[in-house]
Amino acid sequence: MVYSTELLKGTLKTIVLKLLADNKKMYGYEITQRVKELTQDKIQITEGALYPTLHSLEADGLVTTETEYIGKRVRKYYSLSVAGKTRAKEKVSELASFVQTMTLLLDLKPKAI
Amino acid sequence: MTPLTDEQIDHIVADLYAHGIRLEGLRDNLLDHICILVEEKLEAGGDFERVYATVIPTFYRRELYELEEEALFLESLRGPHLVLSRGWFFVLAFALVLAPWLAFFAQWFFFERPVINIPYALDAIGWAVALDVYPLLTVIILFLTPNRFDPLIPWGSKILLGLKPLIRVLSQPAII
Repeated sequence: MVYSTELLKGTLKTIVLKLLADNKKMYGYEITQRVKELTQDKIQITEGALYPTLHSLEADGLVTTETEYIGKRVRKYYSLSVAGKTRAKEKVSELASFVQTMTLLLDLKPKAI
Repeated sequence: MTPLTDEQIDHIVADLYAHGIRLEGLRDNLLDHICILVEEKLEAGGDFERVYATVIPTFYRRELYELEEEALFLESLRGPHLVLSRGWFFVLAFALVLAPWLAFFAQWFFFERPVINIPYALDAIGWAVALDVYPLLTVIILFLTPNRFDPLIPWGSKILLGLKPLIRVLSQPAII
């Protein structure tokens, strides 16, 4: 089962920030593949959602970028800024609390993926 | 894996531009991602034009430039520029607001006399205490509502910080 876009929309920033917190620096394609791998294909981040989000995180100063030239093309690596590290912790904590509340609200029993 | 040629990369860049992708950073990201996918598919066989034509529509729903629109929209939503970490804000607030008065009253308490001997000293102290109420309120609100604010304090919010939560509290029902 692949989760709906509506469910994922509000969590994308958190997912990206958490991945960057765990992996130091990543580029776009790597992020999409890592998410697929970690969630066993249940979450597939589209390019149309990922790149605007990365752009927004960069504009907010939460990530920094470094570029690597691969022949004629440029690969942008993203890593967390100091503010980004703080925000990542806050967002993960907020989402964890939200999931806990939803579990209570919907009277669900937590189980493994 | 066979890397794309410079001509093929130029073709993709020109196509991205033609489809309305003007932001350089976004274009670089898309180019790299498209190149990886095209190279993977070319490894399985096929020609560049055909493979590229199948890859590019997977990036959008209606038009490619919607990615740029989304990027610009998200950028427009961001808050004011942040200048001070919360920690430094408290250090500064303490140094400028609380520390002088704590030092003054500690010395007055221990030596039983004012440290300074100037005319209208008590009036000055009274005014200073009155003027300190608002910054103190700001600090208290920051402590009591940590999740309401970013860890960095926006310039404009410094002045309104104390007032905004009060307005919110007064203008909304206490219980929903």
